[in-house]
Amino acid sequence: MTDPVLAAIRSRRVVRAMTEEPVGRDTVEAVLDAGRWAPTAGNRHLQRFVATVDPGTLRVLRMVSPGMIQRPTAAVTICVDRASAEAYGFRPDAPGLSVDVGTAAATMLLAAHALGVGAGPVSSFSRAAVGVVLALPAGWVPELIVCLGHPEAVQPPALNPRRALGWQDLTTWVPAE
Amino acid sequence: MRRMSAAWVLDEDDALELLAYLVTAARTQVDEAAEYGPMRLLTAAHRLAEKIDSRSSDGTGALVDGPLRRMPLLAVPRDDRDGYVARLDEVCRSVAELLVARYASASATTGPV
Repeated sequence: MTDPVLAAIRSRRVVRAMTEEPVGRDTVEAVLDAGRWAPTAGNRHLQRFVATVDPGTLRVLRMVSPGMIQRPTAAVTICVDRASAEAYGFRPDAPGLSVDVGTAAATMLLAAHALGVGAGPVSSFSRAAVGVVLALPAGWVPELIVCLGHPEAVQPPALNPRRALGWQDLTTWVPAE
Repeated sequence: MRRMSAAWVLDEDDALELLAYLVTAARTQVDEAAEYGPMRLLTAAHRLAEKIDSRSSDGTGALVDGPLRRMPLLAVPRDDRDGYVARLDEVCRSVAELLVARYASASATTGPV
Protein backbone atom coordinates (compact mmCIF):
# COMPACT_ATOMS: atom_id res chain seq x y z
CA MET A 1 0.00 0.00 0.00
CA THR A 2 1.68 3.22 -1.12
CA ASP A 3 -0.91 5.90 -0.41
CA PRO A 4 0.29 7.62 2.79
CA VAL A 5 -3.21 8.36 4.07
CA LEU A 6 -4.37 4.79 3.69
CA ALA A 7 -1.09 3.55 5.15
CA ALA A 8 -1.56 5.80 8.18
CA ILE A 9 -5.12 4.54 8.67
CA ARG A 10 -3.89 0.95 8.64
CA SER A 11 -0.88 1.46 10.90
CA ARG A 12 -2.39 3.69 13.61
CA ARG A 13 -2.89 2.06 17.00
CA VAL A 14 -4.33 3.23 20.30
CA VAL A 15 -1.40 4.01 22.60
CA ARG A 16 -2.02 3.12 26.25
CA ALA A 17 1.52 3.41 27.61
CA MET A 18 3.40 6.68 27.16
CA THR A 19 6.83 7.92 28.23
CA GLU A 20 7.46 11.05 30.29
CA GLU A 21 8.95 12.86 27.27
CA PRO A 22 6.88 16.00 26.68
CA VAL A 23 4.91 16.54 23.51
CA GLY A 24 5.82 19.90 22.00
CA ARG A 25 3.28 22.68 21.92
CA ASP A 26 3.74 22.92 18.14
CA THR A 27 2.79 19.27 17.78
CA VAL A 28 -0.35 19.75 19.86
CA GLU A 29 -1.26 22.76 17.73
CA ALA A 30 -0.81 20.70 14.56
CA VAL A 31 -3.18 18.07 15.99
CA LEU A 32 -5.71 20.80 16.86
CA ASP A 33 -5.44 22.21 13.35
CA ALA A 34 -6.22 18.78 11.93
CA GLY A 35 -9.24 18.54 14.22
CA ARG A 36 -10.51 21.83 12.95
CA TRP A 37 -10.59 20.33 9.41
CA ALA A 38 -12.70 17.35 10.43
CA PRO A 39 -16.13 17.34 8.80
CA THR A 40 -19.03 18.60 10.89
CA ALA A 41 -22.74 18.40 10.17
CA GLY A 42 -23.95 21.54 8.49
CA ASN A 43 -20.41 22.92 8.78
CA ARG A 44 -21.58 24.20 12.18
CA HIS A 45 -18.42 23.44 14.20
CA LEU A 46 -20.14 23.01 17.54
CA GLN A 47 -17.17 21.15 18.99
CA ARG A 48 -14.74 22.99 21.24
CA PHE A 49 -11.20 21.79 21.91
CA VAL A 50 -9.59 22.30 25.32
CA ALA A 51 -5.85 21.60 25.20
CA THR A 52 -3.31 21.24 27.97
CA VAL A 53 0.33 20.29 28.39
CA ASP A 54 0.37 21.32 32.06
CA PRO A 55 1.59 18.39 34.19
CA GLY A 56 -0.60 19.28 37.17
CA THR A 57 -3.76 19.57 35.07
CA LEU A 58 -2.94 16.32 33.29
CA ARG A 59 -2.40 14.53 36.61
CA VAL A 60 -5.77 15.64 37.96
CA LEU A 61 -7.47 14.92 34.64
CA ARG A 62 -6.23 11.34 34.87
CA MET A 63 -7.42 11.03 38.47
CA VAL A 64 -11.03 11.66 37.40
CA SER A 65 -10.81 9.58 34.21
CA PRO A 66 -11.00 5.86 34.98
CA GLY A 67 -10.52 5.03 31.30
CA MET A 68 -7.21 6.90 31.10
CA ILE A 69 -4.78 4.01 31.37
CA GLN A 70 -1.92 5.99 29.86
CA ARG A 71 -0.12 8.96 31.42
CA PRO A 72 -0.29 11.53 28.63
CA THR A 73 2.00 14.54 28.44
CA ALA A 74 -0.63 16.45 26.48
CA ALA A 75 -4.38 16.13 26.07
CA VAL A 76 -7.14 17.60 23.99
CA THR A 77 -10.62 17.39 25.45
CA ILE A 78 -13.32 17.59 22.82
CA CYS A 79 -16.42 19.31 24.13
CA VAL A 80 -19.81 20.08 22.64
CA ASP A 81 -20.98 23.65 22.94
CA ARG A 82 -24.53 22.81 23.98
CA ALA A 83 -25.60 26.41 24.19
CA SER A 84 -24.65 27.05 20.57
CA ALA A 85 -26.23 23.74 19.58
CA GLU A 86 -29.47 24.78 21.21
CA ALA A 87 -29.41 27.99 19.20
CA TYR A 88 -29.42 25.83 16.05
CA GLY A 89 -32.45 23.96 17.36
CA PHE A 90 -30.73 20.81 18.61
CA ARG A 91 -32.37 18.99 21.50
CA PRO A 92 -30.01 18.25 24.43
CA ASP A 93 -29.95 14.55 23.54
CA ALA A 94 -29.50 14.99 19.78
CA PRO A 95 -27.13 12.18 18.63
CA GLY A 96 -25.62 14.07 15.71
CA LEU A 97 -23.45 16.16 17.96
CA SER A 98 -21.64 13.07 19.21
CA VAL A 99 -20.97 11.98 15.63
CA ASP A 100 -19.03 15.18 15.06
CA VAL A 101 -17.03 14.52 18.23
CA GLY A 102 -16.09 11.16 16.75
CA THR A 103 -14.95 12.57 13.43
CA ALA A 104 -12.86 15.22 15.16
CA ALA A 105 -11.30 12.59 17.41
CA ALA A 106 -10.53 10.21 14.54
CA THR A 107 -8.91 13.02 12.60
CA MET A 108 -6.78 14.03 15.58
CA LEU A 109 -5.69 10.43 16.20
CA LEU A 110 -4.53 10.14 12.60
CA ALA A 111 -2.83 13.53 12.72
CA ALA A 112 -0.91 12.53 15.84
CA HIS A 113 0.14 9.32 14.16
CA ALA A 114 1.33 11.25 11.12
CA LEU A 115 3.34 13.54 13.40
CA GLY A 116 5.03 10.59 15.10
CA VAL A 117 3.17 10.95 18.38
CA GLY A 118 1.10 8.31 20.11
CA ALA A 119 -2.55 8.99 20.84
CA GLY A 120 -5.43 7.31 22.56
CA PRO A 121 -9.08 8.28 22.99
CA VAL A 122 -10.70 8.21 26.43
CA SER A 123 -14.44 8.47 26.94
CA SER A 124 -14.62 7.03 30.44
CA PHE A 125 -14.39 10.05 32.70
CA SER A 126 -16.65 12.03 34.96
CA ARG A 127 -18.10 14.83 32.84
CA ALA A 128 -18.89 16.78 35.98
CA ALA A 129 -15.36 16.45 37.37
CA VAL A 130 -13.64 17.21 34.07
CA GLY A 131 -15.76 20.32 33.77
CA VAL A 132 -14.30 21.50 37.07
CA VAL A 133 -10.72 20.45 36.30
CA LEU A 134 -10.70 22.29 32.97
CA ALA A 135 -12.84 25.22 34.21
CA LEU A 136 -15.16 24.74 31.26
CA PRO A 137 -17.59 27.53 30.42
CA ALA A 138 -21.26 26.90 31.10
CA GLY A 139 -22.79 24.86 28.29
CA TRP A 140 -19.57 23.13 27.24
CA VAL A 141 -19.91 19.38 27.82
CA PRO A 142 -16.72 17.28 27.63
CA GLU A 143 -17.32 14.22 25.48
CA LEU A 144 -13.93 12.70 24.67
CA ILE A 145 -10.28 13.16 25.63
CA VAL A 146 -7.53 12.60 23.08
CA CYS A 147 -4.41 11.66 25.05
CA LEU A 148 -1.09 12.49 23.42
CA GLY A 149 2.37 11.22 24.28
CA HIS A 150 5.38 9.34 23.05
CA PRO A 151 4.69 5.59 22.99
CA GLU A 152 6.42 3.22 25.38
CA ALA A 153 8.20 0.37 23.62
CA VAL A 154 5.91 -2.18 25.28
CA GLN A 155 2.16 -1.64 25.18
CA PRO A 156 -0.54 -3.40 27.22
CA PRO A 157 -2.29 -6.12 25.24
CA ALA A 158 -5.36 -4.93 23.37
CA LEU A 159 -8.79 -5.56 24.86
CA ASN A 160 -9.48 -8.30 22.37
CA PRO A 161 -6.17 -9.23 20.75
CA ARG A 162 -7.38 -12.44 19.15
CA ARG A 163 -10.08 -10.82 17.07
CA ALA A 164 -8.98 -10.12 13.52
CA LEU A 165 -11.87 -8.41 11.82
CA GLY A 166 -11.96 -7.72 8.13
CA TRP A 167 -14.22 -5.19 6.53
CA GLN A 168 -16.28 -8.11 5.26
CA ASP A 169 -17.17 -9.00 8.85
CA LEU A 170 -18.68 -5.56 9.29
CA THR A 171 -20.42 -5.15 5.95
CA THR A 172 -23.67 -6.27 4.36
CA TRP A 173 -24.27 -5.64 0.67
CA VAL A 174 -27.71 -4.61 -0.54
CA PRO A 175 -29.12 -6.30 -2.48
CA ALA A 176 -27.63 -9.46 -0.94
CA GLU A 177 -25.04 -11.25 -3.08
CA MET B 1 13.99 -4.20 51.93
CA ARG B 2 10.34 -3.60 52.71
CA ARG B 3 9.17 -1.98 55.92
CA MET B 4 7.44 -3.76 58.77
CA SER B 5 3.86 -4.85 58.16
CA ALA B 6 2.39 -2.12 60.38
CA ALA B 7 3.88 0.66 58.27
CA TRP B 8 1.69 3.07 56.36
CA VAL B 9 1.76 2.04 52.72
CA LEU B 10 -0.23 4.95 51.27
CA ASP B 11 0.29 8.64 51.75
CA GLU B 12 -2.52 11.16 51.41
CA ASP B 13 -1.76 11.90 47.75
CA ASP B 14 -1.85 8.20 46.87
CA ALA B 15 -5.08 7.67 48.76
CA LEU B 16 -6.73 10.73 47.25
CA GLU B 17 -5.84 9.59 43.76
CA LEU B 18 -7.39 6.20 44.39
CA LEU B 19 -10.46 7.77 45.97
CA ALA B 20 -10.93 9.98 42.91
CA TYR B 21 -10.63 6.95 40.65
CA LEU B 22 -13.22 4.97 42.62
CA VAL B 23 -15.75 7.79 42.82
CA THR B 24 -15.50 8.72 39.15
CA ALA B 25 -15.52 5.07 38.09
CA ALA B 26 -18.78 4.60 39.97
CA ARG B 27 -20.26 7.38 37.88
CA THR B 28 -18.83 6.29 34.53
CA GLN B 29 -19.92 2.71 35.11
CA VAL B 30 -23.56 3.84 35.05
CA ASP B 31 -23.15 4.51 31.32
CA GLU B 32 -20.49 1.97 30.38
CA ALA B 33 -20.72 -1.59 29.15
CA ALA B 34 -21.26 -3.99 32.03
CA GLU B 35 -18.15 -5.96 31.02
CA TYR B 36 -16.07 -2.95 32.03
CA GLY B 37 -17.15 -3.34 35.67
CA PRO B 38 -14.56 -5.94 36.70
CA MET B 39 -11.93 -4.25 34.54
CA ARG B 40 -12.37 -0.94 36.36
CA LEU B 41 -12.14 -2.65 39.75
CA LEU B 42 -9.01 -4.47 38.67
CA THR B 43 -7.51 -1.23 37.42
CA ALA B 44 -8.12 0.20 40.88
CA ALA B 45 -6.42 -2.86 42.38
CA HIS B 46 -3.47 -2.46 40.00
CA ARG B 47 -3.13 1.21 40.90
CA LEU B 48 -3.31 0.45 44.61
CA ALA B 49 -0.74 -2.31 44.17
CA GLU B 50 1.56 0.04 42.31
CA LYS B 51 1.37 2.54 45.15
CA ILE B 52 1.91 0.11 48.02
CA ASP B 53 4.40 -2.30 46.45
CA SER B 54 7.60 -0.64 47.61
CA ARG B 55 6.30 0.04 51.13
CA SER B 56 4.42 -3.14 51.93
CA SER B 57 5.42 -6.30 53.78
CA ASP B 58 7.06 -9.17 51.96
CA GLY B 59 3.81 -11.15 51.85
CA THR B 60 1.77 -8.34 50.42
CA GLY B 61 4.57 -7.49 48.04
CA ALA B 62 4.63 -11.05 46.76
CA LEU B 63 0.89 -10.88 46.11
CA VAL B 64 0.99 -7.66 44.13
CA ASP B 65 4.14 -8.69 42.28
CA GLY B 66 2.73 -12.08 41.38
CA PRO B 67 -0.86 -13.10 40.79
CA LEU B 68 -2.26 -9.58 40.63
CA ARG B 69 0.36 -8.33 38.22
CA ARG B 70 -0.23 -11.35 35.99
CA MET B 71 -3.91 -10.38 35.62
CA PRO B 72 -3.99 -8.40 32.35
CA LEU B 73 -4.82 -4.74 32.87
CA LEU B 74 -7.37 -4.57 30.06
CA ALA B 75 -8.92 -8.03 30.30
CA VAL B 76 -12.69 -8.34 30.07
CA PRO B 77 -14.91 -11.43 30.33
CA ARG B 78 -15.90 -11.34 26.66
CA ASP B 79 -14.81 -14.32 24.60
CA ASP B 80 -13.13 -16.50 27.21
CA ARG B 81 -15.34 -16.09 30.23
CA ASP B 82 -14.18 -19.34 31.83
CA GLY B 83 -10.51 -18.42 31.43
CA TYR B 84 -11.17 -14.95 32.76
CA VAL B 85 -12.97 -16.30 35.80
CA ALA B 86 -10.20 -18.84 36.39
CA ARG B 87 -7.56 -16.11 36.38
CA LEU B 88 -9.62 -13.96 38.73
CA ASP B 89 -10.15 -16.95 41.03
CA GLU B 90 -6.39 -17.48 41.11
CA VAL B 91 -5.92 -13.91 42.30
CA CYS B 92 -8.71 -14.32 44.85
CA ARG B 93 -7.14 -17.51 46.20
CA SER B 94 -3.80 -15.76 46.52
CA VAL B 95 -5.43 -12.90 48.41
CA ALA B 96 -7.14 -15.38 50.72
CA GLU B 97 -3.88 -17.27 51.35
CA LEU B 98 -2.18 -14.03 52.32
CA LEU B 99 -5.05 -13.05 54.61
CA VAL B 100 -5.04 -16.44 56.33
CA ALA B 101 -1.28 -16.38 56.79
CA ARG B 102 -1.41 -12.85 58.12
CA TYR B 103 -4.47 -12.94 60.35
CA ALA B 104 -5.75 -16.45 60.93
CA SER B 105 -2.98 -18.98 60.58
CA ALA B 106 -2.85 -19.77 64.30
CA SER B 107 -6.57 -20.49 64.65
CA ALA B 108 -7.48 -21.82 61.20
CA THR B 109 -8.92 -25.31 61.28
CA THR B 110 -10.65 -27.48 58.73
CA GLY B 111 -13.38 -29.90 59.61
CA PRO B 112 -17.10 -30.48 59.92
CA VAL B 113 -19.17 -27.77 61.53
